[in-house]
Amino acid sequence: MNRRFFIFCGIIASLTVYFFLDLVGDLGRLSGGWSNLVIFFNESLWPPEWSVLEAQSYPVCEARFEFTCSVAWLGMVETIKIAFVATIIGFIFALPLSVLAASNLSPISIALPARILLAGMRSLPSIIWAVLFMIVFDVGTLAGICAMSFYTVGYLGKLQFESLEGLKNAPLESAKAMGMTRFETAWLVAIPESANHLLSHLLFMFEYNVRHGTVIGLVGAGGIGLYINTYLKLAQYDKVVALLIIVFLVVVVIDFISMVLRSAVNEESDVERPSWSSIFLPGAISSALHPTPMKQVPDGEAE
Amino acid sequence: MSEELVHLHNVSVGYDEPLIEGINIEIFAGDVIAVLGPSGIGKTSLLRTIAGLIRPLAGEVELAVPSRGGLGYIPQRLGLVGNLTVRGNVEMGTRVGLSRWYPPFVPVPSKQRNYVDQAMVDLGIDHLAEQPVRILSGGQQRRVATAKTVAQRPKLVLADEFLGELDDDNVDIVMRTVNQAIKAENSAMIMVEHHEELAKGVANRIWRITGGRLVEELKR
Repeated sequence: MNRRFFIFCGIIASLTVYFFLDLVGDLGRLSGGWSNLVIFFNESLWPPEWSVLEAQSYPVCEARFEFTCSVAWLGMVETIKIAFVATIIGFIFALPLSVLAASNLSPISIALPARILLAGMRSLPSIIWAVLFMIVFDVGTLAGICAMSFYTVGYLGKLQFESLEGLKNAPLESAKAMGMTRFETAWLVAIPESANHLLSHLLFMFEYNVRHGTVIGLVGAGGIGLYINTYLKLAQYDKVVALLIIVFLVVVVIDFISMVLRSAVNEESDVERPSWSSIFLPGAISSALHPTPMKQVPDGEAE
Repeated sequence: MSEELVHLHNVSVGYDEPLIEGINIEIFAGDVIAVLGPSGIGKTSLLRTIAGLIRPLAGEVELAVPSRGGLGYIPQRLGLVGNLTVRGNVEMGTRVGLSRWYPPFVPVPSKQRNYVDQAMVDLGIDHLAEQPVRILSGGQQRRVATAKTVAQRPKLVLADEFLGELDDDNVDIVMRTVNQAIKAENSAMIMVEHHEELAKGVANRIWRITGGRLVEELKR
């Protein structure tokens, strides 16, 4: 068993090295890479240019807090708005599609086409959807919302139908034996029973869309990515770094809120209330710092 | 002569290989049948076959109950929706008494609400009505599953070890309520039970599964 395992690992490692050398070709290109990065970092990236947090000179800022007229604030708020709207629109379409795609809720003749549709929507990355919708709607947030919504339907739909398929059999069998319709079974049994997972996926998708907002903004679909793209074109990399740090911090805060919400939906859920270290540190280090206590299984009546 | 609800014609039960073969038996209104036998002998498979959840390997199951709402099934794991309240779960039983086009997101009419309230009172879980089922104890959940079936008012009840985690007082409450419901609706019940004494105390017919055959041990 061990010998087979080592042979298997050896083959994988050999293939990796072979493919790498085949793709990269000249390893000499790596030699000056580190020094180039250090020069680029010192001359162009660091320190970040925090003027992105100052109010823009035009239009004149009339807000109470000047930073709310800054590039960072305007871009970030727009990104969050796009992500929020796209996540909700995506969820509205993804939920019925995921019910149709779940093989324990729908016959295969319906589940298969629904899965193909979801796979199709997921197979194009949101940046490609953004380019397509920009051709349709012109540059701007509408293209961003549509692109993100489409991708959300495909991605969220897959997560959700897998959750629905993972449901315990007993409630579904009881519903079937009673003579409930498929719609009743989905509405009254499957969706409530997997509600914690569905909510968890929804929050994850919102967080994902906020992160992805920077990417689709790069092609002009609105949000903070649009500003990042502008600064990249102007070679103002220190401002790009400042905006990326802000995106990182916002994502960390959303991640934390999302984990707290997920841990609140079910006291028996597998989602633990997070600690800050679990967000910033890799899982192994974090769990070493905060070992999870053994769960108590209550015995006797809860009355 | 009582109304015949189920007729099994030479039925074989199992998955790939038959667990029980050659079942020829009738079930009449008013019957309370206890199915006995060791674990893994095919008791649950028999219930699932009658419920239409698995096809018989041979023979035919003839059901003279409505396909919608005519059959109440309490699986071993109860089949409750943990995130719904006790009321939500019990109410689910009454929905199959309505038209299949009645929207599931519209509250049930007052007649069905009364069934729900009565079933919860009868089983002593009315004080838990707004609690989510997932936080209840095993015994309380069993009473919720029973209330759901009682509120449904089916012609045939299939119950798989549903008395399992109940203490003696609650067994009395549950069986009294179920018997009243069976008499009121002129229905029947098949229950899988491990405790022989308990089964003999509540059932008027005893089926024992032994050596791949179903034997009617007692009929009164």
